[in-house]
Amino acid sequence: MSKALLCPCEDVTLGDVEVAIAKGYRDVESIKRYTGFGTGICQGKSCLTAVAQVLSRTPGVAPSAVLPFTPRPPTHPTELSILATLGVDEREVPSQGVPVSSGDSSTALRPATPVPARAQVVIVGGGVMGLALAHNLAKRGCTDVVVLEKGYLCAGASGRNGGGVRMQWGTSANIELARRSIELMKQFAGEMGINIWLRQGGYLFLARSRAVAERLEKNARLHNQHAVRTEILSPDKARDLVPELSLRGVVLAAYHPEDGVIFPWPFLWGYAQAAQKRGVRVETFTQVLGLQTSDGLVRSVQTDRGPIACDTVVLAAGAWSPGVARLAGVTLPNEPHRHEILSTEPLKPFLGPLVSVLDSGLYFSQSMRGEIVGGMGDPNEPAGLEQGSTLRFLARFARALTEQVPILGQVKVLRQWAGCYDVTPDNNPILGRTPGLPNLLQMSGFVGHGFMMAPAVAERMAEWMVTGNADELFTRFNLERFASGKLEREDMIIG
Amino acid sequence: MRRLVPIPPERRISLDFEGTAVPAQEGEPVAVSLIAAGHDVLARSVKYHRPRGPFCLAAACSQCLMRVDGTPNLYACRVPARAGMRLQRQNSYPSAKVDVFSAIDWLFPRGLDHHAMFAGVPVAEQVMARVARHLAGLGLLPEAAAPERPPAESLETGVAVVGGGAAGLAAGEVLGAAGVPFVLLEREEALGGRWRTGAPEPEAPPLALPRGSGMVRVATTALGLYTDARGRFLAALSARPEGPRLLLVRASRFLLAPGGHAPLMPFTNNDLPGVLSGRAVSDLVRRRGVLPAEKPVLVGHGPELPGLAWLLRESGARPALVLDTSASPARGAVAGRLVSAHGRTRVQGVTVDVAGRGRRKVACDAVVVSLPPSPAYELARHAGARVVFRAEPGSFAVEADGDGRTRVPEVLVAGDVLGADTAARAAASGRRAAGALVREMAR
Repeated sequence: MSKALLCPCEDVTLGDVEVAIAKGYRDVESIKRYTGFGTGICQGKSCLTAVAQVLSRTPGVAPSAVLPFTPRPPTHPTELSILATLGVDEREVPSQGVPVSSGDSSTALRPATPVPARAQVVIVGGGVMGLALAHNLAKRGCTDVVVLEKGYLCAGASGRNGGGVRMQWGTSANIELARRSIELMKQFAGEMGINIWLRQGGYLFLARSRAVAERLEKNARLHNQHAVRTEILSPDKARDLVPELSLRGVVLAAYHPEDGVIFPWPFLWGYAQAAQKRGVRVETFTQVLGLQTSDGLVRSVQTDRGPIACDTVVLAAGAWSPGVARLAGVTLPNEPHRHEILSTEPLKPFLGPLVSVLDSGLYFSQSMRGEIVGGMGDPNEPAGLEQGSTLRFLARFARALTEQVPILGQVKVLRQWAGCYDVTPDNNPILGRTPGLPNLLQMSGFVGHGFMMAPAVAERMAEWMVTGNADELFTRFNLERFASGKLEREDMIIG
Repeated sequence: MRRLVPIPPERRISLDFEGTAVPAQEGEPVAVSLIAAGHDVLARSVKYHRPRGPFCLAAACSQCLMRVDGTPNLYACRVPARAGMRLQRQNSYPSAKVDVFSAIDWLFPRGLDHHAMFAGVPVAEQVMARVARHLAGLGLLPEAAAPERPPAESLETGVAVVGGGAAGLAAGEVLGAAGVPFVLLEREEALGGRWRTGAPEPEAPPLALPRGSGMVRVATTALGLYTDARGRFLAALSARPEGPRLLLVRASRFLLAPGGHAPLMPFTNNDLPGVLSGRAVSDLVRRRGVLPAEKPVLVGHGPELPGLAWLLRESGARPALVLDTSASPARGAVAGRLVSAHGRTRVQGVTVDVAGRGRRKVACDAVVVSLPPSPAYELARHAGARVVFRAEPGSFAVEADGDGRTRVPEVLVAGDVLGADTAARAAASGRRAAGALVREMAR
């Protein structure tokens, strides 16, 4: 039992932190995610300084590169029932959240070395899409790939989502993609050597209105056609699955037992490490400043570490994609919308499925570590790249959750954060070639469910890119459809 | 451990600690009652089921979390004792003293790599996921839904001051004298910070309680410095007789002087029950009248270490060793470092490396870690202030000018949040920041 603890909340030892640093995680945010330090009940109060000291003694790490992790409110564990007492004006527009940017220039963590001068493929965005694609390209022999990520791995929506994976969708295309993704997730640990903690506890959708109930019934019939065995349940049957639920006002429920939750972060590390082993370069803390085009092609990607000449550019920057596309004069119809989320104290397992009320956008599940992780969309949320947290969300979510599960009233919120949905006009992604710039490939617009789609989408995209064989996915969801008006709307979006 | 001040008979109550009666003084934190009664192990840790006891007594670690009257994960250092209260240890089977899952700690001396463990091994992977899920989590669901909560309260003022320690009180004095309306939030039940509960400092200025234009809310913990359509506001949790209550404080300026958190020192077995932060020990002795050890080893550096050694000696303890980890040891301390703590369920000795004399074992009944607090930068950072790491002394601090102004115009900081320092200098920084605000608001 000889261990020196750096984070007693999560039993993270000095050795764990040293291993993470040796693996190349040399910023506090990455060490936090890789080791789990600072994610417990004290939220970093007792451990952060000790970890920062270890990092600061690492050769090559300057004190200016030792930045604290973002302190997430609340600073003290706070009961849901207390947060629920705050009155909220539902008509009000949610405001800017906290923490507000401190203006720390990203240069503090930017590597001093230049990026490669040339690459066959440059992928903009080191989220799950970009990394999964890089891995799948490398697996197919295309290893001259550079992935550019402006922050640390997990900094964007891939590191901020609730980890839900489900086959219950409203269109055949999405049902099939999700089914394949879950299949690949089951093989992930074997292939990558890293656990992702897939737990298939099911998804339980609740309908509080007739209209939503009809949508669930219609979609369940579609699921069954795809051999996805979604069941429509009466409120009493739903309570059998989650005895703690209050089902007042619930019309019916839809349940599919093979849906579940995963732990998002290891996906990124797993894909990145596997791709790097095959020669892919993953360049974190590297900003894209420009896309140089001529004669109808993108010729090079300008970064803050120099230009990269390339044959193909893949735009997989999630909610930041429209901004990057603009650098090449391309207009994307995507709009970023903040979605807030929180995590509670860890409890012993009691909740099997992820529960979602489709009417309000409330969803919650229990993570492998025991925390209740959940969020709720805000119909008034304006478009914008905002990732701050609001007290308004805590109050709205706390009220909605404690109404649905009253026994959670005294359960305490540990931290709240937010990420951006990358919303398209028909709730479906943008995939394939860009009109007028055929070597700029689109891979964005996943409306909050990119994480669960990434394994399957990346597999097909890599196959399509490497073999050149036609795949209807890249015509069905191409950018042109918005001009031609051939839209097929996805109606199973949470929030 | 013993009580230096006996419990007054009219306040003597009994707590139910897993069937054992524990004497307590009504209203004191239950962690204090348990320490005074000699109970060391209050919890088992999440992953390795290591024994845990109180460390910081300031709700800034997780080592005293207990189930109290059917509610999980409460800080025993924050729960006021009431007669008959039921205290239960969590995450242990069959009991916290003899926990079979502590075998995990012995079986994996180099730790468990949850990323790679059984990854992709057929069957084993599924079994592990099942086992891990059942071992994970801390505490069972609450027994009951929450009682009715009082509605949230809202206040508006000129300056919101966070922290009623040396810096916050000095600021309050200046604001009060100038007639600037302010609200001061203090998370403890009483104002004073280290004046009341810290190690005595020779040059500490006298305690000045706010007068004049100020309003004080004690037992009120700031949760976040948020914004909404009406501007910036503090959200806080206020412990009130009618129950905990959400408090919103809107102000045109925010002066943040929340002090810091007790840092841990990474020696082997630094989480053993009996390893206590220096501020926890001075708080126990001065405010609670409980001496937590007769023969402690003190380790650390900074202005509080000698004061703490003095306080413990004055209270009847006989420190086994005062170990100063800095390059220039304090008077009465020896230079060196702590290698490891020993003991099965509580500290019984330590191995130290004394400069020039090598390693040796020292018997003791507690380890007191006295380090300068880690600046509590959270609220300032919420608002957008910059936080920098200083290689010397090796901690983060909020960046500010001489008047405590951050890069956010309406947010100023004072005291330990600028980097841990003496009470006198913390008070001076509070006065400077408040002075700057008075001048600004007069314009």
